[in-house]
Amino acid sequence: MTAFEIDARQVPFNNGDNILKAALNAGVEIPHFCYHHALGSLGACRLCAVEVKPEQPEQRPRVVMACMEPARAGLKVSVAAPAALRARQGVIEFLMTNHPHDCPVCDEGGECHLQDMTVACGPPYRRYRGRKRTFINQDLGPLVHHEMNRCITCYRCTRYYQQYALGTDLGAMRLRNEVYFGRFQDGPLESPFAGNLVEVCPTGVFTDKVFRSRFARVWDLDTAPSICPHCSVGCNTLPGARLGTLRRVRNRDHAELNRWFLCDRGRFGHQYTEHPERPWQARVRGQTVNYSDALGAALDQLQRAGAAVAGVGSPREDLESNALLQRLIIRHGGFFAAFTDPGIEAATAHAVRYINRMGTPTLAAMEHADAILVAGELTAVAPMMDLGVRQASRNKAKVGVIHHVADPLATLADYDIRLAPRQTSVALKRLQGMIATTAEQSSGDEHGLAQLAATLMHAQHPLLIGVVETLGAYGVAALAKLAQSLGGQAALAYALPGPNAYGAAIVNEDGATQKVLEAVETGKVRCLVVTAADPLGDTRTGWRWREAVGRLDSLIVMDCVDSATVRAADILIPTAAWAERSGYFINYEGRVQCFDRVFERDKPLPASVAVIADLANALDLGAGEPRVAIADLLPGIALPLAGEPGIRLTPRVRLDVPPPIESVAGATGHWQVGLASWYGDDPLADHAAALSSLAPASTATIAPDTARIAELATDARVMLRGPAGSLPLPLCIDANVAEDTVALPRSAMCQIGVGHGGYVELEAMP
Amino acid sequence: MEVVLTPRITPAGPLGLEAYRVAGGYTSLEAAFDLKPDGVIDVVEAAQLRGRGGAGFPCGLKWRLRGSDAPKPRYLICNLDESEPGTFKDRVLLYGDPHQLVESMIIAAYALQVQRAFIFVRGEYAQGASGLTTAIAEAEHAGLLGDNIAGSGFDLRLEVHVSAGRYICGEESALVNALEGRRPNPRPRMPRISAQGLWGQPTTVNNVETLVNVPHILRNGAEWFRNLGIHGGTGPKLYGISGKVDRPCLVERSMGSTARELIYEHAGGPQAQRQIIGFMPGGASTPFLGPDQLDVVMDFEAVAQAGSRLGTGAIIVLDDLSCPVAVVLNLMQFFARESCGFCTPCRDGLPYAAQILSDIVAGRGHVGDLLLLEELCEKIAPYSFCAFAPGATMPLQSSLRVFRDHFEQHLAEGGCPYANRGQRP
Repeated sequence: MTAFEIDARQVPFNNGDNILKAALNAGVEIPHFCYHHALGSLGACRLCAVEVKPEQPEQRPRVVMACMEPARAGLKVSVAAPAALRARQGVIEFLMTNHPHDCPVCDEGGECHLQDMTVACGPPYRRYRGRKRTFINQDLGPLVHHEMNRCITCYRCTRYYQQYALGTDLGAMRLRNEVYFGRFQDGPLESPFAGNLVEVCPTGVFTDKVFRSRFARVWDLDTAPSICPHCSVGCNTLPGARLGTLRRVRNRDHAELNRWFLCDRGRFGHQYTEHPERPWQARVRGQTVNYSDALGAALDQLQRAGAAVAGVGSPREDLESNALLQRLIIRHGGFFAAFTDPGIEAATAHAVRYINRMGTPTLAAMEHADAILVAGELTAVAPMMDLGVRQASRNKAKVGVIHHVADPLATLADYDIRLAPRQTSVALKRLQGMIATTAEQSSGDEHGLAQLAATLMHAQHPLLIGVVETLGAYGVAALAKLAQSLGGQAALAYALPGPNAYGAAIVNEDGATQKVLEAVETGKVRCLVVTAADPLGDTRTGWRWREAVGRLDSLIVMDCVDSATVRAADILIPTAAWAERSGYFINYEGRVQCFDRVFERDKPLPASVAVIADLANALDLGAGEPRVAIADLLPGIALPLAGEPGIRLTPRVRLDVPPPIESVAGATGHWQVGLASWYGDDPLADHAAALSSLAPASTATIAPDTARIAELATDARVMLRGPAGSLPLPLCIDANVAEDTVALPRSAMCQIGVGHGGYVELEAMP
Repeated sequence: MEVVLTPRITPAGPLGLEAYRVAGGYTSLEAAFDLKPDGVIDVVEAAQLRGRGGAGFPCGLKWRLRGSDAPKPRYLICNLDESEPGTFKDRVLLYGDPHQLVESMIIAAYALQVQRAFIFVRGEYAQGASGLTTAIAEAEHAGLLGDNIAGSGFDLRLEVHVSAGRYICGEESALVNALEGRRPNPRPRMPRISAQGLWGQPTTVNNVETLVNVPHILRNGAEWFRNLGIHGGTGPKLYGISGKVDRPCLVERSMGSTARELIYEHAGGPQAQRQIIGFMPGGASTPFLGPDQLDVVMDFEAVAQAGSRLGTGAIIVLDDLSCPVAVVLNLMQFFARESCGFCTPCRDGLPYAAQILSDIVAGRGHVGDLLLLEELCEKIAPYSFCAFAPGATMPLQSSLRVFRDHFEQHLAEGGCPYANRGQRP
């Protein structure tokens, strides 16, 4: 690495860097607007003017744009030179001819890049005497507020939205000093990553509408480094709270994960913590009680049940609560599971073992893949992984998506392979077979699999991503075998079902979920303790749990959101949401990350780990120290602090994995069910008002050909019958759903008692 | 001087293919195909043909610098997005003699070994574009376009694109963006359009008037062409004379004719009883020259030495009833309106300058406004992204010099002194 000079400071640079990029990387500030690390140089704002000293004696110093000028060894650059200063002042004065002087009432105030730059370089007084140009704002939906008069035309928003996130419904229109950034017409932004406009915009054109509805000055916010609780990617966030309420979430840079961006679920999902029906009051058999009474009642039930106890942890519960509950229950002689569906448990356990054995790429590394296969609806489960795939696609990677229902990523894919859920693992095995026999032109290739196989085979850095929840254990294994057949270059990643699914998998014993469920069903368990899980609301097994809990003496539930299980609880102990406590999550890569407590409510709720510790201590089980429980689980690991990049677990190889067996037992009905979740669909984010107002309507969605064969009219209502009951739904026809598949929302699946890949009967209603 | 480019242009309308051939058209193809592509470039270089779009870059050198080994496919674009105020030469060539342009495109494409070429026509010239499309269809039918043109083994597809509008589309990289269907924002200087232009491929963009010289050069030779010019100029030049003259007109004269000859002999000089107070020699984005510079030779170097630019050779004349401040205001409003909105100094600086000028004209000028205008020009032109803003500020900057007393009179008298003389431009 060589260096050049900025105002007598040596600045190192990489080949291909421009002056601005090298300077910012070295921590040397050069004022700028349109340059953005993720979006690169544009050369539009002209604020990064610097003076370059002459290299030959007869030359004169030149003012250049730092973002457009390649860094060269020996270059002498001055940011402070009077000529550069004058150029920058000109730019600021020009921008301020139209920018409103509304800083005192602007939502961006205090974290406005324009404000900073104006104070840093601009002329202190206004000379312009003319009128400012004005615009009409658009309604961009419930998440992002639009205030076009503030626009300084840096083009960051469209470059981010169209070029980076591959969205299509926001662009630049008109010209001269009337360039308008917006949609063709009013309406919610369609991209699952639209919220990043709030941070990409250097001023207050795009602001956080959720934050705005309950605004606080940003310098008044309580913040602490946190981890997103909405999926297994583990994006780093910076939540902000004020006066005991959580107001917003912003991105926090993590070099290997989310870097500059967040998905909309991660940014706006936090509203669940302020949901009016969030459980705030402890309850014992319908009576509101205080915490110590609830704890006493729980202790009483646990003692009375003796060894006939069971505990259910959760992939959305932090590591220490899962570990401590497991300890408490096992020491008490009972059964513990960290999952509510044996199928999800097996799939997650297999996925974790495969990535333990084969390693898994960081989000940043995914962008360098040159061929990608995604098995499942990735946007709905791990949106930021989807954004990584989009970057690879921009870098000319070929992308294949095997999906069952409508999927935003599939519409951008080179190979859009639509298959009924149970055909996925068949297709993965066929791909593996094609690669093993290097048969590129296999006959009867109706789904483009042969082309996809050839693409994967010829790629230097193929990447396979599987969605664990919809793949199931058998599909997880099939994808891993496909990766193995591609050889050492192939990277494998799984989108796991929850922010701490990895952690839940290492706390959980194989087959534990089945054991707990059966023990409850057979009456072997008298008292069941559930933390941050909703077994009664599960799609596939919920109906069994609902029947089984009737046999219990008591159901003790700890959670921070309302759910079927919370409503059925005999003893309910509301707990702190993630931002109200600290804890550890293990993300899809096996990265242990710590999130800090951001704020305290006026009436603080206990962290679930504190409740479990109180129970354990009162039962005198010696299980009350969370750090000890984690240390036992992760021996030799020095746990990271909040704000640190986390520690990736070194592979702990457990090779004796019995290969999963695909089961179609109990299949009745002719329609396969596909889970139609969307990017706002999450057990927590479902309770976020603004985000869930965008949720698609609850329908039974099928492909047009299937509808025609089944003689179903477009506007029909259909009756669905499954093991747990029947449900009428309006029919919707969508060509992005696989044939013979009916796409259903999670809530509908729960009511009729089928999981993804299960079978139902469907008939037209008169 | 022998009229070369425009003799076939009459009020009767353009010649069809047969009539054009009778008039000697398409005979240059033979001369071209007898040469190797590089041979054609040699002849054009020897003729010292310089770009007529405004910059005056030697055409042969431009073609040579693209390189005969440039990766394929390569493209050729004829820039017929004539939008410079006061300029109407390309329009006459388009409406009057489309086959001449088709013939020129074939030879240029052959020299550059391009198989796909475009003519980018200003939106307002849609009728001319339709005549051109007819000419192309005739040429295709006659085997002069398409595969194996006239048995030469050379293939060419020629397409007409009618612009969606805006002045900036005439800037070559903005034109390429527009042709790709993008916003017509100029591209960064590097990589050059000649290396990575249309769809990322090597692309040559030439002005219409430049191209239509090429068949005549091939027919008559480089020396003949050079000798058409006078006072050091080479070849013929279309000069447009408009503004406050007796007979606004377009004339084809030797490159190197003087402004005085063009204005007085061809445009009839100023209207009766009027005095010329200044003129723009090459369209709205060229600096004003005073009446003392009427003898300037209308060639690239000479006009530059006089402190202006030859530009498109479109002379705009101001007389003593034209308020130069109002003229400059009009120009600045035009340029502010035509800014593509990409870079800050141009987008927000030009309306700022226009606003000050409108205050001065309306009698709301402040002491110090002239200094402010000069300061704005210095902050706009050097720091903008493309050549548009420098072109836009040149008339303003020069008018502050050439017409200083008019500006000061506006400030002193609290408004436009011409308002009371019954005539405003």
